[in-house]
Amino acid sequence: MSYEKFFRQEMKELGWCPGCGLHSIFRDICDVFNGINEEIVVISGIGCTGRAAGYFNLDSIHGLHGRAIPLAVGIKMANPELKVVVISGDGDLLGIGMNHLIHSARRNDNITVICNYNEVFAMTGGQVSPTTKEDAITLTTPKGNLYQPINIQGILLSNKKHFYGRTSYVFREHLKKTLKEALNHKGFSFVEIYSPCIINYSNKIGKSAADVFKEINKEYKITENNHPLKDNELGIIKNE
Amino acid sequence: MSKSLLSGNEAIVEGAVKAGLKFYSSYPITPASEIMTFILKKDVTFIQAEDEIAAINMCIGASLAGKKSMTATSGPGFSLKQEGIGLAFKLGTPLVIVDSQRVGPSTGMPTLGSQGDILQAKHGIHGDYISIVFYPNSVEELYRYTLEAFNISEEALSPVILLSDGYLSRMYETVDLSLINKKIKIKNRTLSPLGSSKRHFTGLTSENNIPKTKDSIVYKNWYLQRKKHILNAAKRYNFFEYIENKNSDTLLIAYGITSRAILPLKNNFSIFRPIRLFPILDELKEISKNYKRIIVIEMNDGQYKHELEAFLKRDIKGIGLLGGKISLEEIKNEL
Repeated sequence: MSYEKFFRQEMKELGWCPGCGLHSIFRDICDVFNGINEEIVVISGIGCTGRAAGYFNLDSIHGLHGRAIPLAVGIKMANPELKVVVISGDGDLLGIGMNHLIHSARRNDNITVICNYNEVFAMTGGQVSPTTKEDAITLTTPKGNLYQPINIQGILLSNKKHFYGRTSYVFREHLKKTLKEALNHKGFSFVEIYSPCIINYSNKIGKSAADVFKEINKEYKITENNHPLKDNELGIIKNE
Repeated sequence: MSKSLLSGNEAIVEGAVKAGLKFYSSYPITPASEIMTFILKKDVTFIQAEDEIAAINMCIGASLAGKKSMTATSGPGFSLKQEGIGLAFKLGTPLVIVDSQRVGPSTGMPTLGSQGDILQAKHGIHGDYISIVFYPNSVEELYRYTLEAFNISEEALSPVILLSDGYLSRMYETVDLSLINKKIKIKNRTLSPLGSSKRHFTGLTSENNIPKTKDSIVYKNWYLQRKKHILNAAKRYNFFEYIENKNSDTLLIAYGITSRAILPLKNNFSIFRPIRLFPILDELKEISKNYKRIIVIEMNDGQYKHELEAFLKRDIKGIGLLGGKISLEEIKNEL
């Protein structure tokens, strides 16, 4: 079983909230890691997803807020034999750490970045994040978010060489397929896993974990086309 | 004998490479930028980072992955690197950070040397921290103490700050590195690299890979052990120069470039020059007892003086050379 193989047993259990997509995402990442031959090193930043590094029974680093990517780049440059994987949240990677993401993608560094896209700063209580939808009510936008969410797909696709994957915890087979392809990609690969925060976001706007799951299951479509994804599409856009 | 003409920045590179440097990342900043161009000629993995923060985090990653690493910057970049220095300290990462000081705060006077980052070098990070700081005063010493900085960082498993300044970094001097090479033995890496084990390195307070963020005992044990380990390592690196003048009841204390400028005053005063600025040298306790007056001369508004007053528990006079100018006449007038 890949979960037993990759879960750090001393941690006893995954500490994420009930209903959070990270539980199944973690298991699915373990499944994908099971098919990787190289030594894997996991790097995380700060936040709910930032705790991921600590749950893997691998050499792993839980670094500074927003700085997982430069840590990963240093590791990969120092030892190109390693499979270097960043697992962190949208606030960490697309907010405070965005500069590193843009430049690592531009350099086409040979690392994989897995972004748990939960639409808020979840660990600190559910503040608006760069990925929060316009008009959304959060802890710090009680009258609705004034701004449009960041277009990370557009930013990544602006590089001639790119790998952008979007999937969701709801579509587990697609998630695993996307991650597998990202991990085998030569160059910078970015996978966004749509997984809205339940306790500090969805519940506060009247949605249960089941509601969120059903909504994504109904609204999102998987596409095999290599064209920029529409808002409700999941797939992989790449150019090596 | 093999003499060569080197700049301070070149000497730092030569010393680092001799010490086993394999990874270098930094961001352009006056007066440390030239280090990058010298690094390019060496067998060192190099990346010009997107910013100062990326540079130090890349170095931490590379060091944990098994390569001796270094970054260099000046005041503005040094401020940005502080959180990274804290992470390196927390994770037990050997790493050398060069800060070639210029006049601050802010953009200040980029091309003029200064000694304004003394307190930042000691206290820049948040939380409890034991800093190791060297500050040489010549091109030859920049070579030697870059080597020593790498050695102590391996022993202490901690980041080490090598201070320079705009004058020292760009000064050219004839040096004989072979003499130094005979004196210093290179410390090899003891920490096993990433990918060889199943360790979890975390900035959180933790015990045996497991975060313990509400356990004060775990924190206390971790910190006190870390402190002891670093102070023990520092004992083997107690570098200083003491020029005793038996006729003087006054001890002048200066370091780095300023200690070069005041050298003519040795005819009338004793001079103590710390090379390891922090942890402050215990030797100073005994030496200072012999003097009625202590005067610290430095290119800032009394930063090291402040530290020494607390350390020696006595009043000390400070002569602050401000705005990047060193004038022996001005110093004499204030003595």
